[in-house]
Amino acid sequence: MLEFQDIRKTRRRDGKSLGILDGLTLRPAPNRITAVVGPSGCGKTTLIRLANRLEEPDAGRILLGGRDVRAFEPQELRRRVGLVGQLPFMFPGTVLDNLGKSFVLRRVSPPSAESELIRELLDICQLPNDLLTQDARRLSPGQQQRVSLARTLAAAPEVLLLDEPTSALDRPTADRLTATLREVARQRGLTVLMVTHDLRLAERCAERLAYLNEGRVLEEGETSDVLRNPRHESLRHFLREPADGENHP
Amino acid sequence: MSDAAILDLGLFDLLLAYGLFLLVVGLARLRDVGQERDLIWASLRMVGQLLLVGYLLHWIFAWNRPLPVLVLLALMFGFAVQVIGQRVSRKMPGFYRVLTLALMLGCGLVTFLFCVVIVGPTPWYDPRYLIPLTGMIIGNSMNGATLAAERLSAEMSERRQEIETALCLGASATQASREALRGAFRAALIPATNSMAAMGIVFLPGMMTGQILSGTEPMIAVRYQIGIMFAITGAVGITSFLIVAQGVRRYFTPAHQLRDID
Repeated sequence: MLEFQDIRKTRRRDGKSLGILDGLTLRPAPNRITAVVGPSGCGKTTLIRLANRLEEPDAGRILLGGRDVRAFEPQELRRRVGLVGQLPFMFPGTVLDNLGKSFVLRRVSPPSAESELIRELLDICQLPNDLLTQDARRLSPGQQQRVSLARTLAAAPEVLLLDEPTSALDRPTADRLTATLREVARQRGLTVLMVTHDLRLAERCAERLAYLNEGRVLEEGETSDVLRNPRHESLRHFLREPADGENHP
Repeated sequence: MSDAAILDLGLFDLLLAYGLFLLVVGLARLRDVGQERDLIWASLRMVGQLLLVGYLLHWIFAWNRPLPVLVLLALMFGFAVQVIGQRVSRKMPGFYRVLTLALMLGCGLVTFLFCVVIVGPTPWYDPRYLIPLTGMIIGNSMNGATLAAERLSAEMSERRQEIETALCLGASATQASREALRGAFRAALIPATNSMAAMGIVFLPGMMTGQILSGTEPMIAVRYQIGIMFAITGAVGITSFLIVAQGVRRYFTPAHQLRDID
């Protein structure tokens, strides 16, 4: 489905060239949730921005269904590979307006409040029905995060890229959301690549786990295997002390 | 035009007017504002520049050939590009190319339409018409162009998250930056709109005042003023629109990616 092959990416900051990704290769499991964890600044966010071509790698290839992502029209690619950023942005209007945004951009009639799609999205994202008519900008950060996820799912992507998807949610809501997402991934054939610093979330929600450090995937496998038997010292250190304020499994 | 000749101002009259200015310098010194040198320098510069322009115009009017008129217009245009470049602090990618093209098309088209087609002097390059009217059109377009360029940079920076969210949902660069374009274009049109709304009530415009002083019948002066205001608004609007429409594209790659500018 989605595949990163030997990706290299540098960034220029203050006239200096900083290596972000250095030969990264990763193949998220189809129809499963793969979590990418790693220390701050290891290139997690860059990785998912490359996958839907918000940015280009300096070298390497990213494939979607065996085709180079550059072979797709960018708009089509981004509908097929949906990205939900860490800080949700709500467009002016109601929650329903936001959920229909990808339809409006395609010049297609957006779904109505009574439609099966909207009911399903509210259900997956743990959002109450009466929220549909509310001003999306007045919602709590947690609600906005879920509306943002529902809005991306509305475009029926094949791959879902999530950047810290539950950072604004309380623990029970986050757990319910990720459990539903896991089910949706299996049922709909949705490949989910989630970057997070939340090891507990990764353990509870992701079937596969990739540990990213120094611009490469150092370890990858079944989540429980990777967490129980870390092979690299840097992962062992990361599991002991992920970073200030980050969660242990 | 009326035959009534305008009263000339002699050196003594100008010195008397300069006395008013010196009074302001004195007040600034009294209150320790610390801008006296700047004030005096600016006043000397203004006098020098105007005298130079006066002699230049005198020579161009006397010669009455198209080439010097066109050279002067090109100089005015180049000066406008340079001044806008100095005024705009955050420049969009490809700023000078976008600006030059927009000013050339916006001001060029309006100047031709208003000066050559609407006013229609004979010969078409009559410096008495072409130079002051083009000057007003370019001068006012400078403000619109500065506002459009400055506001576009601010909008693209402030709306970065909004634009990338829209791109992620499958928007094209044009769709994603629609609000930024709208905001910048709106900002550029505000001074021209305000100026039209206040004209005749809050202030009497310079061109009209000048024509009346030089003996033109007031209704003719009013008609010129109405015409030039529409021409100015047209030039400001076209120039600003071209700046934001061309400028906004330069923030994106051909793959509809928002460039990392900041």
